[in-house]
Amino acid sequence: MAQLSLRGIKKSFRNVDVLHGIDLEIGDREFVVFVGPSGCGKSTLLRLIAGLDPMSGGEFLLNGKRMNDVPPSRRGIAMVFQSYALYPHMDVYENMAFGARLMGLDKGEVEARIAEAARMLRLEPLLQRKPRELSGGQRQRVAIGRALVRKPQVFLLDEPLSNLDAALRSEVRLEIARLHRQIGGTMIYVTHDQVEAMTLADKIVVMNAGRIEQVGSPRDLYETPANTFVATFIGSPRMTLVDVRCEGERLVLPNGGSVHVGALPDVGELKLGLRSDAVRLSRTAGGDGFAGQVVYTEYLGDNAYVYVRLADGTLVAARTGPDDLFEPDHMVTISVEPGSVHLFSAGDGRRLVP
Amino acid sequence: MREGPPSSSARAKRIFMPQLRMTGRGLWITVLIVPPLAFVALFIVYPIISAFAYAFFDWQGLRRGAFVGLENFHTVLFVEPYRSWTLNAFKNNVLVFFALMVLQNGLGFVLAYALWRELPGARFHRIAVFLPVVLSTIIVAYLFKLFLHPLFGVVNISLRGLGLGELAQPWLGQSNTALWSLIVAQAWHMVGFPTLVFLAGMQRIPSEMLDAVRMETQSEWVKITKIVWPLVAPSATIVFTLLFVGAFNWFELPYIMAGLDGSPFGSTDVLGLYFYRTAFGNVSAGQQNFGLGSALAVLIFIFIALVATVITVRLRAREIQL
Repeated sequence: MAQLSLRGIKKSFRNVDVLHGIDLEIGDREFVVFVGPSGCGKSTLLRLIAGLDPMSGGEFLLNGKRMNDVPPSRRGIAMVFQSYALYPHMDVYENMAFGARLMGLDKGEVEARIAEAARMLRLEPLLQRKPRELSGGQRQRVAIGRALVRKPQVFLLDEPLSNLDAALRSEVRLEIARLHRQIGGTMIYVTHDQVEAMTLADKIVVMNAGRIEQVGSPRDLYETPANTFVATFIGSPRMTLVDVRCEGERLVLPNGGSVHVGALPDVGELKLGLRSDAVRLSRTAGGDGFAGQVVYTEYLGDNAYVYVRLADGTLVAARTGPDDLFEPDHMVTISVEPGSVHLFSAGDGRRLVP
Repeated sequence: MREGPPSSSARAKRIFMPQLRMTGRGLWITVLIVPPLAFVALFIVYPIISAFAYAFFDWQGLRRGAFVGLENFHTVLFVEPYRSWTLNAFKNNVLVFFALMVLQNGLGFVLAYALWRELPGARFHRIAVFLPVVLSTIIVAYLFKLFLHPLFGVVNISLRGLGLGELAQPWLGQSNTALWSLIVAQAWHMVGFPTLVFLAGMQRIPSEMLDAVRMETQSEWVKITKIVWPLVAPSATIVFTLLFVGAFNWFELPYIMAGLDGSPFGSTDVLGLYFYRTAFGNVSAGQQNFGLGSALAVLIFIFIALVATVITVRLRAREIQL
C-alpha cells in the first residue's frame, strides 16, 4: 500500500527556482513516469521524493504521513540510479545484502529475499561476482535487485536505461514492465525518452521548466494533449503546428489554401496540430487543401514519412504507405481528417475544444 | 622542413628516414638518461654500498682500520651500553610510529572526511590544513620549541591564563612529556599530507554511490566504515608506508627540539639521532665511531626496507581483494 501526495513542492538552488510548486497524487501500484526535456526538474523532483535533497517548500505525504523531515533510509523508498551506483568492493550478494541487513532483518530473511530477487532477475550465477566483472545490463539488474531486496513501498528509477545500448534498452524495458506486474509496487520512473514513457507508464507526468504540463495515461496524452508542449513532446514524429485563421468551418493558411474541419471555436487565429497519421497527401497540386512541396521522404519498410513544406515554411510530416513514395520538389495538396486534428490557442498554446 | 614536390629520390630518402630517426631517438634517450643515472649512482647507490662496506671495518676517526667482519653489528646489538641505547631509540621510534598513525593519519582521515562533506568553512580549511606541510621542519621545530618554553611559551601562558596553572610544566624538559611534545609538533606539521591524499581518494567516490548509501542508512559510522574507508584504501597504502619510513627516519625535528642527545635522559632519542651521534660524535661526548654508525645505518636501512615491503604487499593485496 503506497499513496503519495505531493503538495506545492518547490525547490530552489540558491536563488534559481527549479520547481515552482508541484501538485501530484500517485496511487498504489501505479507506474508513474516523469518525462520532460533535460533540465525540466524531473530528476530533482525524484530526489526530493527520495529525500536526498531538502525541499524548499511544500509537503510530501506517504500514506498520509508527512515525510519532509524523514531521512531517506527511513522512508520505505528504494532508488535505482542512472549509474547503478553499485558498491565496487562488494560482490553482487553483498551489494544486495547490505541494505537489507541495515534494516535489521535476520540472516535467514536476508538470504531468502536475496534468493527471491536473484531468481526473479536471473542473477543466481552472478552472486559471487564483483560489479566490475558484470556487463551493463547485468549491473542494471543488480541495482534493481538491491532495491527489490528491501521490499520498499515505492521504487524510484532515475533514467535507468540511459547507460545501455539500444538493443539492450528495449529488453530491460520489457523486464521492468514485467517486474512491475510481478511485484505490484508503486514505481516512479524518470526519463527524457517519450517512447519509454509511453510503453511503461500507467500515468505520465509531462514536465517542463519546473512545472507539470499534464498528467494522464499515455493514451490521454497522445489523443488529447493539454497544450502545444505536450502535443509536440509526445508522439513520433513530432506533431506539426501550423498557424492558421478561422473562417467559418475552414482553416485558412495565408496564400496556402484551406482545409475543412467542421465546427470551430470562435477565435480569429489558432494553431492547428497535425500528427502524421491525420494528414492525407494527393498528387494533384491546387486541390482542396493546403498547398505544399515535398522536401524528402523517409522510407521505413512498413510505412514511409513524407515531409512537405507549406506556404509559410512549416514542415509537415505525413505517413504514407511504403509504395506511396513522393519525389522531392513535387507539388502536392494536403487534406486532413476532420476528426483527428488538434486545435490550440494561438496565444498561450492551450488546447481549444470546438 | 618539408621539401618540394616528392620526386623519386625524395621517396628513396624517406625510406631511409625511419632508420635515421631511430638512431636519433636512441641518442636522445641516452643523452637524457645517462646524466640522472650517473647522478643517482654517484650520490645514492655509491653511498649506500660504501656504508655497507664501512660497517665491516674498524675505524680510527676517519681512517679505516682492519676488517672486523660482523663485530660492529654485534656491538650495537648486544654489547652494553650500545645495546640499551639501540633498544631505547628503537622503542621510541616504535612509539612515534604508532602515535603518529593515530594523531597524524587518523586525524588526517577525519579532517579529510569533514572537508569532503563540505562542512561550513571547508574552502578555507582545505588550504589551512595543508599550509603547515609547506613550512620548513626547522621553522616548525623552532616555533614549537618557543611555544613549549616553560616560562615564556604560549602553551604554559595560556594554561595559566585559563586558571589551569597546575597543568603548566616544562614540556620538553621532563622525560614523560618530551617525546609526546615532539610527536604533537610533528603531527601538526604533517597532518595536511594524509588529509590531502585521503581527500583525493574520497573525491573519486561518485556522488551517486553516496546517495545510494544514504538510501540505505543515515549512520555516518556505517557510511565511513563500510563504504568510504574501503574505497579510499588505495590512498591508505601510500600514506601508511610513507609514515612508516618517515617515523623510523625521524631526525630534523627531534634534533632541533631535543638536541643530539635525545634529552632529557634519552627520552626523545630516536634511531636517527643515535646513528648521527655514534657516527659523527657530538659536543658533549666527542667520540665518534664510523664503523658502529655505519652498522646502525645498515640495520635501520634493512629494517625499514623489509617492513615497508611487507606493509606495501599486504595492503596492496587487501586493495585487490576489496
